Amino acid sequence: MTKKQKKLIVFITSLCGMFAIVPAANAMHIMEGFLPVSYCVIWGLICVPFLVIGFMHVDKQVKENRQTMMLLALTGAFVFVLSSLKIPSVTGSCSHMTGTGLGAILFGPCVTSILGLIVLIFQAILLAHGGVTTLGANCFSMAIAGPLVSFVLYQLLSKTGVNRKVNVFVAAFAGDLFTYCVTSVQLAMAHPSPTGGFGYALIKYLGVFAPTQIPLAVIEGLLTVVIVIGLETYAQDELKKVGFLKKGVQN
Amino acid sequence: MERIVQILLITAAVLMIIQGFLHRRKHEKDHSHSSFGHKHDGSVFSIDFYAYASRLRTWSPKYKAVFSMVCLLCCIICDNIYVSCAVILLMAYITVVMGGLPFRRYLSLMTIPLVFLFFGCVAIAIGFSGSPSGDFNLHLGFFYVYTSKESLWETLELITKALGAVSSMYMLTLSTPASEIIAVLRGIHMPKLLVELMNMIYRYIFLLMDTQCRMKNAAVSRLGYCDFKTSCVSFGQIASNLLVVSLKKGNAYYHALEARCYDGELRFLEEEKTVSAMQTAGALLSVSLLLCIWRLTV
Repeated sequence: MTKKQKKLIVFITSLCGMFAIVPAANAMHIMEGFLPVSYCVIWGLICVPFLVIGFMHVDKQVKENRQTMMLLALTGAFVFVLSSLKIPSVTGSCSHMTGTGLGAILFGPCVTSILGLIVLIFQAILLAHGGVTTLGANCFSMAIAGPLVSFVLYQLLSKTGVNRKVNVFVAAFAGDLFTYCVTSVQLAMAHPSPTGGFGYALIKYLGVFAPTQIPLAVIEGLLTVVIVIGLETYAQDELKKVGFLKKGVQN
Repeated sequence: MERIVQILLITAAVLMIIQGFLHRRKHEKDHSHSSFGHKHDGSVFSIDFYAYASRLRTWSPKYKAVFSMVCLLCCIICDNIYVSCAVILLMAYITVVMGGLPFRRYLSLMTIPLVFLFFGCVAIAIGFSGSPSGDFNLHLGFFYVYTSKESLWETLELITKALGAVSSMYMLTLSTPASEIIAVLRGIHMPKLLVELMNMIYRYIFLLMDTQCRMKNAAVSRLGYCDFKTSCVSFGQIASNLLVVSLKKGNAYYHALEARCYDGELRFLEEEKTVSAMQTAGALLSVSLLLCIWRLTV
């Protein structure tokens, strides 16, 4: 082994060590003030149509049966609590679930978009994760894009008859990963590299967040599977109420 | 002109630190100071707690919301390092000295977004290439890690801008309980359904958190968190159980509300808080000060 190689190994080890110690506390919420004004406005505008669709959907359900309101409020609070809990991790760092993958699988993307918006506002107010000006960008990546991917994947895979646990894992995992990619795209668009432009900045952002986000996505997928198993075992009736087990899936 | 602004900002910072020290000495006996850094255990909702304890609670929530949003926008739109520093100082003064929040707690709250800031800025400040192309280069065998003075300066500007924005947001959230912020949102005609949902969710968060805490204690005391695999299973079971319990409770809550004539709208008694002339003058003065700094250093 040459001296250069030794140096490289030491450097990589220390880099990995550093990433392992750094607490990954909701690292994917774009913080307040990090985006220029134009991008805050653009992402906010992109969210509007999705949110209007979600709102109309929720509004119709509530008008039909006012009890849905209570159900929505409780599930919203549940998603918030889930996302503020410290999840178990190998390195003892402090990380959180997004909980939106589970929301999309259980309640569909329309409801999740509205609940996600409210959860993001509360996260900004109560936990200082994310912010008001970056609400549009965060809302798009966490409450719209991620859940949409989870939902579509879940529907597709359940048609092909894949094992349910695998299906839930893949949906939650992919949703989380997609959220991370969208956030990286948003950051790279707002802060492109002066030499390499957008593409180069995107690669840098993806690389910088990968060591924390990919393990996190795996853990999120595993936890979602455990949660869904628990719900299937103990809460058949409640799940029927929220429309999860509509199509008689007790196979 | 830039020189003068620099000197003024530094003087303001020094004065504030001195006043902070004097203040602390006065109160030293009543407080036990915890160590530096933000701890998540047990203090998940520390912001909510401080909002209720703040001396600025008597101020009108609308006034605080407008003022903090204007400062936040100043910070982002001006995109100027001096304005950002001025906002950081001003908001720290309002929150800590006028609001009575312990300075150490303020610092530890400021560390929450630090992780994101670190990662976000590393990606901006550092570049990789095959040849040494920046002002500072680090040779790593196959490639160079480099950074230049401009990109470092740009990163510094971004950090101050983001911290300024965060501190103006803290001014609002550390002095205004969430229920009052929701009332402000109702005031700007956010859809009724959303406001209603927010009010309910805000209440249920604390109920669920309490239930979760008890479930977790029960699991921990039965070795449910002894290793990684077990803790994953316990965490998942607690979460699913939490959803089951909360859905079951939903019915009971609904009947309780129905019995009290719930017609789709919760109405809360809101305290009337007026804005004094002094406060208006203060806000106008600070905003014009920020604009002055911006004009002087552009």
